[in-house]
Amino acid sequence: MSSLRKCFNVLSRDFIHAGEASITVQQLLKQMTIDPVLIRRIAICGYEGEMNMVMHGEGGLYCVEINADKIILDISDEGPGIADIAKAMEKGFSTASDEHREMGFGAGMGLPNMDKNADEMFIESEKGCGTRVRMFFMVK
Amino acid sequence: MWYSGPYVFYGKIRGKPMVPEYLSFVEKYCTGCTHCVRACPTKSIRIRNNKAVFSDDLCIGCGECIRVCPEGAISSSISTIEPCIKDKLNAVIVSPILYAQFPGFMPGDVLLGLKHMGFDHAIDLSYYIEMYQYAVEEFVLENRESHNAPWPLISPICPVVIRLIALNHPNLLDHILPLRGPAALVGDKIRKKLSHAHGVAEKDIELYHITPCHCKVVPDHSKLMDELSYVDHALGINKIFPELLAKMEQMKKLELSFFPNEHFSFVPSSRGPLWGISGGEIAGMRINRVIAVSGLKETMAYLEKIEMGLFSDMEYIEFRACTEGCLGGPLTAVDRYMAKSTVQKFIKMFGIGRRLPRKRIRQLYDKGWFFSELKPSELVDVYQSKRKPFTISDMKKIEKLVSLIHGNECAACGAPDCRAFAEDVIRGEADLKDCFKMSNIE
Repeated sequence: MSSLRKCFNVLSRDFIHAGEASITVQQLLKQMTIDPVLIRRIAICGYEGEMNMVMHGEGGLYCVEINADKIILDISDEGPGIADIAKAMEKGFSTASDEHREMGFGAGMGLPNMDKNADEMFIESEKGCGTRVRMFFMVK
Repeated sequence: MWYSGPYVFYGKIRGKPMVPEYLSFVEKYCTGCTHCVRACPTKSIRIRNNKAVFSDDLCIGCGECIRVCPEGAISSSISTIEPCIKDKLNAVIVSPILYAQFPGFMPGDVLLGLKHMGFDHAIDLSYYIEMYQYAVEEFVLENRESHNAPWPLISPICPVVIRLIALNHPNLLDHILPLRGPAALVGDKIRKKLSHAHGVAEKDIELYHITPCHCKVVPDHSKLMDELSYVDHALGINKIFPELLAKMEQMKKLELSFFPNEHFSFVPSSRGPLWGISGGEIAGMRINRVIAVSGLKETMAYLEKIEMGLFSDMEYIEFRACTEGCLGGPLTAVDRYMAKSTVQKFIKMFGIGRRLPRKRIRQLYDKGWFFSELKPSELVDVYQSKRKPFTISDMKKIEKLVSLIHGNECAACGAPDCRAFAEDVIRGEADLKDCFKMSNIE
């Protein structure tokens, strides 16, 4: 089955261009027959994931794979990793610095929000090696 | 070399160029320079056979092409009707941006000047702007408790922004306040009032609206804002500016500067001029978490971010597609920064206090007088693009073509960028040979 794969490099601490990958993906999906509500869910997840890479993950790779039946967001970085994934999934838990909080981030809603909006979400992480988050969205 | 086959979306209907209703286009002036092609935010213009061709279904009426056209080929399709018809009662609703065009005159003088031009009544909007602002406050405060609408709420005033949302961000239509703008509020009332006071039939009243906005000129689409459904004709500020200025200079010489206090001529306050600048709509509102965004690029970036879930801690966002707000509209007569300085002068003189009793507005609000007949969510059918969406294999072909062209966005093919060109090729609307890089390779 044919699928479209697109990858973007996300740079560490690049707050000016953060979100551009998500915007490009959003615009791409809008040209296809995809339910706008689904596009919005993908955009929210993509943006949260991208911001995580910018703030914590020291940059990384943002990939999207579009299939006829599902869309996969694959976000991976080689940053410090997540020490306790179960704890990170709790609402309100955040390791964001004061600088991030000043910019309005670090409410501890990123991962819970992604989990809420994605149909399925897998997190693989090892301390010191990096994190990979894969999110699956089913196309009706 | 130029492909002249049938175009699906760009081209001519029965020998006439297909032009969006907001624009008037003189083909013989067009040199095919691609200024408009690059400026269009929705990429709806192409160059074919050295002339610009438009795609109606993507046009949001932002007026960027009017601003950049160096040849004057593209202009606003503002009505060419001469104001003031004899044997009829001519009334004009004055957009407060008009006051800011005359640094040496007071708002009252401007209204009087309009009367000297032949209008029977010149109606100021300040009161209705205040009413609208109260209504917004009521809506936000109500929503704070009920959560019927999602945060952030979006101002319904700028028609370009509404069209942009309906075209590109249908998810955000629920964020738009379902309220009518000040000109619609006044238009609703004034015809009945005038008919009653003068004893003339309602059809014998010609109601004009002087506006800096080229978007309020087209009757069909105005249903959205409910504005032109009450007004007969819209007049651009730049159209009446020379005559009005001459009349006012004359008045100054004769020292006719007085303001008659009558029923329909509400005394202008600085609320009016303030409305024209970016941030004027939210100034002095009793809501704290508000932002004002102006400029098309900034507006588009903000809408994309709102769709990604940002700014949900904001309560109200004022969007204006023109930079610096309505003072920067395409139909204004003086430079936006000069006009802004005039507004600031008015604010210094009058302050920004409000005059209306809150209780009375609350009663009107409860009656539903402020609400628009058309719900914003119904707009999606009106403005959705009728283009065939791409399939996954189409998308792959486009990606491949873009990397094959590997261009520097020269726009020589007549499309704004290489990606848009690749999309045109896949849709069958352009020939690959139009690209000079591809025509050399084979």
